[in-house]
Amino acid sequence: MDSKKEYMAGFIKIDEMKKIIVLGSSLLLCGSIFSQEDTLRSPQNYKEIIIQGQEKGSKEKASAQLQQSPDKLLSTIPGITLIKRGNYALEPTIRGLSAAQINTTIDGMQMFGACTDRMDPISAYIEPTNLEKIELSTSPNGNQQGSAIGGGINFALMKAQLNASKKFSGSAGAGYQSNANNIQFLGTFQYSTKRWAVLVNGIYRKADNYYAADRKEILFSQFEKWNAGANLIVALNDNNRISLDYIHDEGYAIGYPALTMDVAFAKAYISALTHTYKNKTRKLRSVETKVYFNFINHAMDDTKRPAEMVPMHMDMPGTSRTFGMFSKAKYVLNAKHVLNFQLNAFQNDLHAEMTMYPDFGSEMFMLTIPDGMRRTFGLNASDKWIVNRKLKISYGGRVEFNQSDITTEIGRQTLTSFYNGDGAQSRMSGNVFIQTEYAISNKIGVFGGVSYAQRPPSIQELYGFYLFNRVDNHDYLGSPDIKNEESISGNIGVNLKSEKFAISLEAFANSFNNYIIGVLLSDYSNMTIGAEGVKQFDNISNAFQTGGEMTVKWSPIKALTVQSVNSYTYGIDDLGGYLPYIPPFKSINSVRYYHKGWNVKLEHVGAFAQNNVSTARYGEGTTPAFNLLNFAVQKQIDLKNDRALYAEFGVENIFDAPYYEHLDVMKIQRQGVNFVLRTTFVF
Amino acid sequence: MELIRYFKIKKMKNIFLLSLMSAFLFTSCNKENGIPVDPITGEPTPTTEYKLLKKDTTDNDLIVELYSKTETIEMGYIPLYLKIRDISGSAVENALVLFMPMMDMGMMQHSSPVEQPVFNSDSDYYEGMVVFTMASSMGSWNLTVNVNGEDASFTINVLENPTGTKYVGSYNGTDGEKYIVSIVRPFEWSVGMNDVSIMVHKNQSMMSFPAVSDLIIAMDPQMTSMGHGSPNNVSPVSVGNGYYDGQVNYTMTGDWRLNLDLIKAGDTIVNSYIDILF
Repeated sequence: MDSKKEYMAGFIKIDEMKKIIVLGSSLLLCGSIFSQEDTLRSPQNYKEIIIQGQEKGSKEKASAQLQQSPDKLLSTIPGITLIKRGNYALEPTIRGLSAAQINTTIDGMQMFGACTDRMDPISAYIEPTNLEKIELSTSPNGNQQGSAIGGGINFALMKAQLNASKKFSGSAGAGYQSNANNIQFLGTFQYSTKRWAVLVNGIYRKADNYYAADRKEILFSQFEKWNAGANLIVALNDNNRISLDYIHDEGYAIGYPALTMDVAFAKAYISALTHTYKNKTRKLRSVETKVYFNFINHAMDDTKRPAEMVPMHMDMPGTSRTFGMFSKAKYVLNAKHVLNFQLNAFQNDLHAEMTMYPDFGSEMFMLTIPDGMRRTFGLNASDKWIVNRKLKISYGGRVEFNQSDITTEIGRQTLTSFYNGDGAQSRMSGNVFIQTEYAISNKIGVFGGVSYAQRPPSIQELYGFYLFNRVDNHDYLGSPDIKNEESISGNIGVNLKSEKFAISLEAFANSFNNYIIGVLLSDYSNMTIGAEGVKQFDNISNAFQTGGEMTVKWSPIKALTVQSVNSYTYGIDDLGGYLPYIPPFKSINSVRYYHKGWNVKLEHVGAFAQNNVSTARYGEGTTPAFNLLNFAVQKQIDLKNDRALYAEFGVENIFDAPYYEHLDVMKIQRQGVNFVLRTTFVF
Repeated sequence: MELIRYFKIKKMKNIFLLSLMSAFLFTSCNKENGIPVDPITGEPTPTTEYKLLKKDTTDNDLIVELYSKTETIEMGYIPLYLKIRDISGSAVENALVLFMPMMDMGMMQHSSPVEQPVFNSDSDYYEGMVVFTMASSMGSWNLTVNVNGEDASFTINVLENPTGTKYVGSYNGTDGEKYIVSIVRPFEWSVGMNDVSIMVHKNQSMMSFPAVSDLIIAMDPQMTSMGHGSPNNVSPVSVGNGYYDGQVNYTMTGDWRLNLDLIKAGDTIVNSYIDILF
């Protein structure tokens, strides 16, 4: 821990450092007072959140997790911070990186939001009922499906289980949250035989406007959605399986109080066909091949806003279509080398348009994403080298070829408005990485690695046309000449583990070249009414980020678990100013007590103030610190025939604290006190 | 959607025009005595590219046919085309032809800017231009075509520009002169960068409208209903004979106003504008 402090001290301003020292030493103090010998629960892995599945004792957990929103689940993962624009579809960032800097996939499938205002990160189109787990990687790695400089999030889909202990199984649940009058109903159902199994799941969620502290109503924060998923698995023989996935997600009348428009509907259709080969006795251990297609249809809407808020009525529909495939192979060369290969290819087509209806004059039409297309072919290779019992090294890389173009005549015409030349282009990108783990003893392990990665600019960054960014109140233009963003990153960490105490500490540093931001075009006039000007996506020579995460888990007695998850990121740009979208120090601390099916949890969530902002350059303001207290009681009643009834009562933000987080757009206050009631029947 | 359909229709139109043109090329192979012949009926097909507006016969028995690109004439810069034949039906080429448009407003009469017709041996038409500065609702337009000293006369019905558009304007300059600013047809706008051509004439007297080529034009397109402009425009610069060529950037469809400041010797003498809708 001291080494971390020292490491970070070089980059952090004194006041910041003081706070960390105070916090760090108080945690150490806690640790030294309470460390006693006892058994620790299952080993922690904070890079993965398991939602449902076949893990031991997961039923209880599943019942609780299934009822959470994906946003809530993501917010508890260290290193992930969410950008909030409404009470729906929060956008994940990893260690201060977002959008095209990170690689977000659903079961390895590439998918891209259709909204030009980033209203629909793809996490908006899946629900916990669809998911087995959420996997986070914080640096470029061998599993990556696309070029990114900041790791990624994969939402692994829940699969039907062959030859399950029960032929019919499933769950049904209902939940209510008082604050926004939020109701939800969900169900999962599985039919399993030796040869084939099918799983279906569904969820319906609806919420009214939510209330911030002091019952302050946040207008236009309502939403309604449903989601249904299905998976069919057929075992062709002992080694080969075919799996079919389909997810249908529809949201309606979704409010975005931080933006000037809401959403009339947001629909996603996700489908995949997967073949898996597994053979535990062969050198070619497994091959997984997936062919997929997904489509998003998204329509922004301002008709529900009062006339005085809408200077001009607009329709802004957008679509995103992706089809692709990947094939992954695992090859065990010998006892010391496990090789992984992956070939993937996909194509994404984006279309976004805007029709404006003035009170006087003719309607106006434009493309905001002029029918951009991106085709990607990638090849990954990595080797996990088990040097000896103590030392493991994994290394590898990815090469990627990208083609981008504009596919329609009106799209090409639109490009002439801001670019003199052909928009079609091809690029190479990729990454190389090495990660080592060294077990000093059973209780102490250290790890570290370095990587170099490049990512191509996104379709928005290439061809975007007057994309409005509410944070800095500017319209953004794309730039086909923009260079690939590059990063050299390093991470170092230590895991300490004893019977009752586990601590994991990791620090990272990321040095960027050609970092992509918006650069002001001073002689351009903004298109969006009320905007301050026009910026163009462009490279700045360099940027730097550093930070780290610390998680502590401590079980003084079997029934009691104390856990603390802490994240910090710091970022500066080429001029030494602060980068935008950098979360301040955040800490989630909880105490859980288990007793005879009762589970009582008291949770503290807090963040320091973020004063490291460059308001002039990026439009961000400062954010004050906040502290919240949440409380929940869960009770699991085991019934006959392996059935169970689960119930939860909770209070979120007990003291009705007014707060917002730094990445919340327009500083709109988050939910005040909220009473939660949930029940799930598992059979 | 509406617009996409519109563009599809436009595309279809283009294909249609293309097929028409190829039909024309085909027919032109069969032409005798310089007159294209319809391959099916064998009749002369004069109306291939241009629409026949009117016909008149001069005192020396020359048949003068007046054509334009459209069946109706609107205010502004209008290219006009002539076919002249003698009594035997053979084409008269290289005659001396003069346009004299005249607006009769009752109390007064005035002419308007013109470009005198010149025979184009490629198209077999005499090609000229008239800037109609007002609509026929203000009086009556008469176009006299003088061929080798004899007149043919045409009454022209000049329509107003469609609502939301303004293709010509007359302005009193701060230098005491009167100027006429028009946008050069044909124009077919699309989103993005478009070539644009402006013409400026001086209203010297009721009958004299010389082209003005020594001005600097500062162009600023504005989307009037939203209050924003567009980047990367190239203000039209003089290319001679009163023409000024530049580039205009339409970031979206809708109502655009091209603000055109005429600058003479460093002073802005006229704030003119052209209104576009597409």
